[in-house]
Amino acid sequence: MKKPVSEQPYFAMRTPISRRALLKGAGITLALPFLEGMQPVLAQAKPATMPRRMLAICNNLGLLADQFFPQGVGRAYKPSPYLEGLQAHRNDFTVFSGVSHPNVDGGHPADVCFLTAAPHPGSSSFRNTISLDQVIAEQIGIQTRFPSLTLAVNTRARSLSWTGTGVAIPPEDKAAEVFKQLFLQGNAAEVKAQIRKLETGRSILDTLAEQATELQRNVSTHDKERLDQYFTSVRNLEHRLAVSRGWEDKPKPVVKAPVPVDPASPAAYMTRIKVMYDLAKLAFETDSTRAITLMLDGVSAPVLEIEGAKITDGYHNLSHHGKSESKRAELKTIDGWHIKLLAELLTKLKATPEGEETLLDRTMVLYGSNFGDANAHTCFNLPTILAGGGFKHGQHLAFNTEQNYPLPNLFVSMLQRMGLETDRFASSTGTMRGLEVA
Amino acid sequence: MKARLLILLAALPFAFAALRPAPHQAATKLEPYEQFVQKYCSNCHEPEKLDRIKVHDRVQAGEMPPKEAKLRPSEPEKTAFLRGLASWLTTEEKAKYAREGRATQRRLNGYEYENALRDLLAAPWLQIRDQFPEDGEAYRFNKVGDALDVSHVHLARYLTAAEYAINEVIQAHEKRTPTTTKRYYARDQQTLTRIFTQTIFNSSPDRQTYPVIGTTPQPDVRNRLAPLTVGDSDPKTRELEAVGWVSSNYVTGFTYRWDQFKAPVAGRYRIKFSAYTLWAAPGGIHRRFTDTSDKVGTPGKPRMQTPDYDKISPGRTVEPITVYTRNGTKNRCVGGFDITPEPNVYDIGEVWLVAGETLVPDASRFYRSRPNNFVNPLMTKDGCPSVAFRWMEVEGPIYDDKSDAGYELLFGGKADVESHLRRFMAKAYRGPVTEADVQRFVKLYQERKQAGLGDREALIAAYTAVLASPRFVFLNEKPGKLDDNALATRLALFLWNSTPDEALRARAARGELSRPNVLRAETERLLNDPKSHRFTEAFLDYWLDLRKIEDSTPSTTLYNDYYLDDSLVEAAVLESHLTFEEFIRQNLPVRNVVDTNFTFVNERLANHYGIPNVKGIAMRRVSLPADSPRGGFLTQASVLKVTANGTTTSPVLRGKWVMERILGFEIPPPPPVAAVEPDIRGAVTIRQQLDKHRANTSCASCHTKIDPAGFALESFDVMGGWRDRYRGVDESKPAEKGLGKNGQPFAFHYGLPVDCAGSLPDGRTFADIRELKRLLAADEATLARSFAKQLTIYATGAPIRFSDRAVLEKILEQAKPNHYGMRSLIHGVIQSPLFREK
Repeated sequence: MKKPVSEQPYFAMRTPISRRALLKGAGITLALPFLEGMQPVLAQAKPATMPRRMLAICNNLGLLADQFFPQGVGRAYKPSPYLEGLQAHRNDFTVFSGVSHPNVDGGHPADVCFLTAAPHPGSSSFRNTISLDQVIAEQIGIQTRFPSLTLAVNTRARSLSWTGTGVAIPPEDKAAEVFKQLFLQGNAAEVKAQIRKLETGRSILDTLAEQATELQRNVSTHDKERLDQYFTSVRNLEHRLAVSRGWEDKPKPVVKAPVPVDPASPAAYMTRIKVMYDLAKLAFETDSTRAITLMLDGVSAPVLEIEGAKITDGYHNLSHHGKSESKRAELKTIDGWHIKLLAELLTKLKATPEGEETLLDRTMVLYGSNFGDANAHTCFNLPTILAGGGFKHGQHLAFNTEQNYPLPNLFVSMLQRMGLETDRFASSTGTMRGLEVA
Repeated sequence: MKARLLILLAALPFAFAALRPAPHQAATKLEPYEQFVQKYCSNCHEPEKLDRIKVHDRVQAGEMPPKEAKLRPSEPEKTAFLRGLASWLTTEEKAKYAREGRATQRRLNGYEYENALRDLLAAPWLQIRDQFPEDGEAYRFNKVGDALDVSHVHLARYLTAAEYAINEVIQAHEKRTPTTTKRYYARDQQTLTRIFTQTIFNSSPDRQTYPVIGTTPQPDVRNRLAPLTVGDSDPKTRELEAVGWVSSNYVTGFTYRWDQFKAPVAGRYRIKFSAYTLWAAPGGIHRRFTDTSDKVGTPGKPRMQTPDYDKISPGRTVEPITVYTRNGTKNRCVGGFDITPEPNVYDIGEVWLVAGETLVPDASRFYRSRPNNFVNPLMTKDGCPSVAFRWMEVEGPIYDDKSDAGYELLFGGKADVESHLRRFMAKAYRGPVTEADVQRFVKLYQERKQAGLGDREALIAAYTAVLASPRFVFLNEKPGKLDDNALATRLALFLWNSTPDEALRARAARGELSRPNVLRAETERLLNDPKSHRFTEAFLDYWLDLRKIEDSTPSTTLYNDYYLDDSLVEAAVLESHLTFEEFIRQNLPVRNVVDTNFTFVNERLANHYGIPNVKGIAMRRVSLPADSPRGGFLTQASVLKVTANGTTTSPVLRGKWVMERILGFEIPPPPPVAAVEPDIRGAVTIRQQLDKHRANTSCASCHTKIDPAGFALESFDVMGGWRDRYRGVDESKPAEKGLGKNGQPFAFHYGLPVDCAGSLPDGRTFADIRELKRLLAADEATLARSFAKQLTIYATGAPIRFSDRAVLEKILEQAKPNHYGMRSLIHGVIQSPLFREK
């Protein structure tokens, strides 16, 4: 039984969803809201801007490198067998080679570092750091009812989302549960409790602002700047709490989509992935959140059920193929489905208009892995794809496979695309070389 | 006569300027400066872009105008110019100090905030620091106000951390359980016994454990044909039952965590282990599993690299064991001991744990098998070493009269809310509490109660607010001489990285602290207190960059022998801490920073350094032979690791590091130049590559200063191991054989020899690091000046600026007679106006 990770009103983050009983007669029959009809959220006098989002997916058993990485660099690259499956979207994604997170080694434990780049996850004194989605949530999370969503397939323990205080946000592995929290009305007592927490936060901040004002009268000019900064932060946080409080009063969006059905067996891995992809799209369409992480955990998966194929060995075993051709063949089938589902997701996002653009144009989809080669358990030369988000895509950005380019640089570019003023993330050295905004 | 009169007349404006430092006179006073610069500098430099302090220094050093310049000032002209400029700079700075102080108002950094909360709430186990964003640095320390920003993120984290801390203290009080002593048997520990059986994730015996009594293996138990333990039915046998293994901890597959025990409440626990070493014969069997549902697997053939747990014999080795915590947010090392073939009980003493934490004993010499085809590097044709654990015993929580002090402070005694708040704020705020402030938080309490919060919740809200309030978070220093409270705070932040204790506050309250002898006595008291270890850690974390010790990973290609060697890195950091503390304790002269005849090692580190006859995991002081390159910070493994990147070393980086941190010279950043890419195939050394670069005169001007120390340090690899030749990767050459701690083979070859000779800018030459150390150690004043500078930035949050130099020289003068003892320098800084004024 998971504990809610944060009773932390100051982050203006909602507690991740505790398990609730099925609402009786939860008929969801009403019309889909118009994306364009959504009102601007912030009370501040800012012009209404269309939102940008991020979906980050980690496939924690990776993809066969010799089938994934393309030949040739730049726009003229020749697609690899796997990338053939994405060619319908060639101009909507960038494929990277020669990238990895500096000092993130250790194999399996590195999956929780995919979005944090914290070094040495296998070490006895490892401590994870803030993940990409939580940086976004901390800055703009108040703009949506849910600052972020942490999802997973086949695990409730391996999470991609880590808060700035070093705590993992346990992932949701049941799409039906998430659907209910996004679209069905909450428990009155819980809402009241949350409101009270937010109000306490604001009261505290009022008191702090008062003391700061008093102190500012007696300091020198240069020192005043420091206290000013504190004072501004107080006001800033107060505003965030106010916005959060506002969400409690707003009704949830109404959707026409049915409650998703989560397949019962972990062997139905691919179906579970599809269900989560559809949920993510719905969450973005309703602007319920703008940062979603999804951990695809293949490590403890059983023999997978793949439509139209016969798999004879456990997924993890297959990933340690030891160059066996039969194992590699089965792995290719599985990997092929990963690509197929990703292609379908991109198709659906592209088919959803958003103003003059499409949902895909305004949603960054990061697909990657902590493994460059699961067979050798190495964590460099990671297979990485970035789709959508309004970048100039259609190319293979190839970096040095002997001395990898830092993947955190891609995260800096992504943060900037989300509108955050930042120039670093973990061990980054700048933005992603060669990746430009459209 | 006439010439002298002219000089006197020329000097007059400067003299007057010195007498009248009013700001509006600034323009007039600068005229002589501007004239000089116009005449001698403006041909090459744009006068407005010149930094006046740099102008002063370069002219004084004779570097500017350059020797080739057509127009150069006469000596008297130069002297007058320098005197006038110095006077102007000093006056300007002093005026600024009078208005603003040397240091900018600053908040507590993450380390300090954590310690302040730990001390205030009497909860040394609180883990808060990592909840904050990383602190900004200026002048390479995280103690400078200009770099310590506050954003809404910081504020949110302060509130969360404060609330968390208070709740943890409440939990520690409410969940108090009586002190017990309980023995947790290995055979009852599921994490250990479930891997008797092979599964898909430990299909190799290397990743299994096995049951044993004494040296007798128990195949029936291992194959689950007999119960895991005799339990209570046979207490004598139970005491002899043990679980053995041959691997070190690896996080997901097989962590030997003893989680039958989880600390019920935050507090102090005394931990003991009963353990011994064994020896396992070769010939074990791997099993093959299809997937996680396959519970039986298919056995393979016996292999000579694999241990056979049915053939156990008495131990042949002494094994170091490191104990870590687990399940918390900050897993850390809490102790270590050496186990022998004779079963013994090992007491690691008292350990602070948070609620829910458990412990993990790690056989740190053993390997951590990484896929694929891993082989135990310790396996011989006769077998491999193993460890066996019988039990872990925990006594605790251990209480004393301070255990409940935090809770007492928050809620103890029957008093009204205002009294509670007053008492709390008096302790938390490092000075007198105003009525307005008390009422402010009382009002918060009342408002929250009105809103429906309970008594306690509302009070917690008020406490949380106090701990995030500017009076707690910011220092309270006014320009000019610091009042006693501010001085006490500075002293405690310097020597304890925390806030003042009761005794120090009492002296401040009585107005005694500003008396030099009292200040000296308190300095001594704080230095002698165990809390001064926080100073060692925090100071070295930034002065020597030891906080970056894990920032690089040894390359598995070139340095697989260092990969995953946690015990080496741990010992290296301990060496630096212990050395520093010895320097301070014994008041050793500052030249020891560079060259000394002792160090601290344990067996692992001694092996690394080639120091013979050191056995065991405990760190101890050893004397170094006269020709040893070790001794002093420059040649410590920790320093050599943080100045390398896991794959290659750079003489420029190491040289710059020495110049700036040890000798105190600032090197300007290079102009944009293409970086030199080291050739790891080894066809050319980094020095050879650099030589081409340095042949260019404009590059040489800085590089002749930076590189020499770096060349001498080329004798040390990425982990500080001595090398006569570089390692390279060239498949055409034969590889050095061996297996790393990941069970994978080495793959490097030895290449070109290291050329570690060089010459200093003044022309003195050295053949190697030993000679360089002697040359550097001879210049005691430079070393002392640099060390005192580092201390000053750390202790006051402001660098040594122009007008501070004279004060610094006075400190040095006083410390000179005992060759600039490092403890004396600490005293010197504290007694000086640099520390005693804002």
